[in-house]
Amino acid sequence: MGTYILRRLLLMVPTLIGMTLLVFVLIAASPGGIGAALNVSGGGQMEAGTSKAQQQAYLEDRYGLDAPIVVQYVRWLGRVSPVKFGRRDLVSPTGEVIRSPRPIDPPMHWREFGGALPEVEQAETAFAFDPGATGEDKSRAYRRASQGYTRVRAEYVLARAGYEQTVGEALRAIGLDRHVNRDGTMKPGTPGSAVRAVLDDAEQGPIAEAAFDDAIARYADAIEGRRELKAVFDARPFPPAGVPILPNTLSLAAPDLGMSFARGRPVLTLITDALPNTLLLNLMAIPIIYFIAVPSGMLAATRRGGLFDVLSGGLYVALWSIPIVWACVLMLGFLANKETGLGWFPVTGLNSIEGEGMTWLPSTAPDGTFVRGFVLDTLWHMCLPVAALVYAGFAVLSKQTRAAMLDNFNADYVRTAKAKGVRSRDIVLRHVFRNSLLPIITMFVSIFPAMLGGSVVVERVFSVPGMGNLVIEAIFLRDREVLLANALIIGLVNMLALLLADVLYALADPRVSYD
Amino acid sequence: MTEATMTDPSQAGASTATQPIMQVKDLAVSFDNGSGPRIQAVDGVRMTLYPRQTLAVVGESGCGKSVTAMSSMQLVPRPPGRFDRGEILFRLPADRGGQVVNLLELSESEMRQIRGNEIAMIFQEPMTSLNPVYTVGDQILEAILLHQDVTPKEAQDIAVKAMTDVGIPDPVGRLKAYPHQFSGGMRQRVMIAMALACQPRLLLADEPTTALDVTIQAQILELLKELKATRDMAVMLITHDLGVVAENADVVCVMYAGRVVEFANVYELFDNPMHPYTRGLLESIPKIHERHDRLVTIKEVVEDPEQFKKLPGADQGVTPWWPWNDAPADLASKPGPAGDYTLKLVKPGHWVGVWRTEALKDDSSPPPELDFRVAEHGEHRGDQPVG
Repeated sequence: MGTYILRRLLLMVPTLIGMTLLVFVLIAASPGGIGAALNVSGGGQMEAGTSKAQQQAYLEDRYGLDAPIVVQYVRWLGRVSPVKFGRRDLVSPTGEVIRSPRPIDPPMHWREFGGALPEVEQAETAFAFDPGATGEDKSRAYRRASQGYTRVRAEYVLARAGYEQTVGEALRAIGLDRHVNRDGTMKPGTPGSAVRAVLDDAEQGPIAEAAFDDAIARYADAIEGRRELKAVFDARPFPPAGVPILPNTLSLAAPDLGMSFARGRPVLTLITDALPNTLLLNLMAIPIIYFIAVPSGMLAATRRGGLFDVLSGGLYVALWSIPIVWACVLMLGFLANKETGLGWFPVTGLNSIEGEGMTWLPSTAPDGTFVRGFVLDTLWHMCLPVAALVYAGFAVLSKQTRAAMLDNFNADYVRTAKAKGVRSRDIVLRHVFRNSLLPIITMFVSIFPAMLGGSVVVERVFSVPGMGNLVIEAIFLRDREVLLANALIIGLVNMLALLLADVLYALADPRVSYD
Repeated sequence: MTEATMTDPSQAGASTATQPIMQVKDLAVSFDNGSGPRIQAVDGVRMTLYPRQTLAVVGESGCGKSVTAMSSMQLVPRPPGRFDRGEILFRLPADRGGQVVNLLELSESEMRQIRGNEIAMIFQEPMTSLNPVYTVGDQILEAILLHQDVTPKEAQDIAVKAMTDVGIPDPVGRLKAYPHQFSGGMRQRVMIAMALACQPRLLLADEPTTALDVTIQAQILELLKELKATRDMAVMLITHDLGVVAENADVVCVMYAGRVVEFANVYELFDNPMHPYTRGLLESIPKIHERHDRLVTIKEVVEDPEQFKKLPGADQGVTPWWPWNDAPADLASKPGPAGDYTLKLVKPGHWVGVWRTEALKDDSSPPPELDFRVAEHGEHRGDQPVG
């Protein structure tokens, strides 16, 4: 059994890689690509006077979107993987993972402009903290270097984008339109001869040269800034992440899910905020479904064709047929809304605004008024969302249970049990039900992950800040990190649930063995 | 419980004054067939079983053997099944009052006191008759704890004893094993151990060896014979294997199409079969010292009209009942189902199912019962014709 579980766990790794790659490709292939939403939302932080191409260049550089899709995916994989290669990353006191600064590319076609790159091959600057430097000092030094580098890098990226645009316009002016992108920048694969043609042009040559000079000057600043930052980084201002296996080659560290593009917060925090809400809903909903559907399926099977069988079957199928959006709206309109309905339940959220200030348990205020307390407040808010999650779930499970029970009622061992003189109630509970467990376990496995990702509609309608809401927003904003992290987590939960089911099979049925 | 009377063992081959343990009287069971007419699985069946006796019920598939046995445990699913007429009388042991009850009329809770405790049953399919998710020990203990006032520890000892009795090696260890870890023959031994753990006085063995290979068959039947002798138990052995009958039965009841066609002790039946169907059954068995190009089929026998004219009193209209033949011209049916048929005592200790013709209009043959056991006669079975 142990070997089997280990093998299954190891097999999860390739499965997860395949799954996240698929999601990654889908995001990248969607119209506008990964950065589409950033172009709309991210421009506000820019200084006035920057062109659209410059904005995009800045954002692409900042989020690493300029690299090819495969490189982006491998980078993401490297961050998420618990096994890290090369030097260990650092962890700041706030928990942020700090990596060695990425290398920086020179402007395109620098060779055509003559001259060499400014001191690219410089020796590494040695940097060491004072022996007496406190963590605070080191942190401050790193932050200073980091901010300086971010600024010069941004300036360079903007200047480079300006240069590419200027050359693009010049190319168009001398009639070499085929080397110009639709947004007016020059294409990455432009041949050197085209650039030389621009330089040879009396009118466009000097303009292009000026733009290049600006970009190359900023490039010098940027690589200088990078070198300084790298020196500080190499001096280890923060403790390294994870545990080493082989020094400077192999280490183990917690997966880094990255930062959300849209919200500027670590994805891990977003998920740890959202997941408990979804889990709370589902941990209420799933037991309700099971405690109602399984016994009623059993009862329906023992009284096959009877009144209960027909009525419960009909009712469940009727409930199952109600579209969930409609059901949610009806609940809101008739049960939550004070003007059109009864107003018994709250309309949105998982807590009242005053809920945060409440005591944990119900209590009576000094002036004698009843305070429902945080727990009761949450339960009250959960009534409608849980009802919406639950009502459609009875049909399938109870029919499955009923069918499994009926199968087993006709089994020979039931006749044996009867011939021994076992009471019918014990035959149902001890013999038939125990043998009907397998399909019920299968159902559990399919329900649980589906609910984790599938409560999107309910969370949306009732404004529950859960996983469903997080995912749907991330899809709208093409928030790559959030989507990938979600795909990863839901995939992992799914596979763990399947594994759990297989283990439960072995426990429920002694004939199942994995050894 | 309802009191009922059981016919005294007076006529025929009764040798001692023991009373029958079970008597089936005019049993009729039918099944709902959806839109079609009800299927009459058993009609007018009569048979009697004495303590320490093995009654073999023989017949082809669907002739009503199993329905008769299942009815006596009320294991026939109702609906679609229904008890139309008749009684199955069972004599309770002396320590439980000793009265005679009609098993068909007992309530479910009364029936549970009988099942497994007074009457136990073993089935044809040892592969599927045990619950796959419980250990063999659990399943034997369940039967013991249901019927005996013992602690689980004592029950365990009883279970170990039962498993030892049926010849399962390492019974203590095997108690913790699951059915799928046993071979077919061992599973049937487990079934028998389970059936016998509560010392029943009647064992219904519904084709207990059909699913087993021949050597295991022999072992299981030998085991049943031994247990019957040591436990003072009656056995109703349902089978379609005449070899099994010859080796094990004291009294044989041949059934066809839901009715009894012949009832006699095992020697009488094999020496002097009177119903053409029985003759057909016996003749279709290959004999080891006779050379045949092809075997005789039952069909050849029962399609020969001469075969139906051999009963004593044939000239007066005593004709074996056979559903595929036209009824005799002078049929004098009684009203009600199976009224065209009667189980006639054609000679002492030998009953044959015949048409109820004018001559037999008021036939009042005694019910078939033979207080006969092979062992008591001290004869050796090897001398008998065996299939």
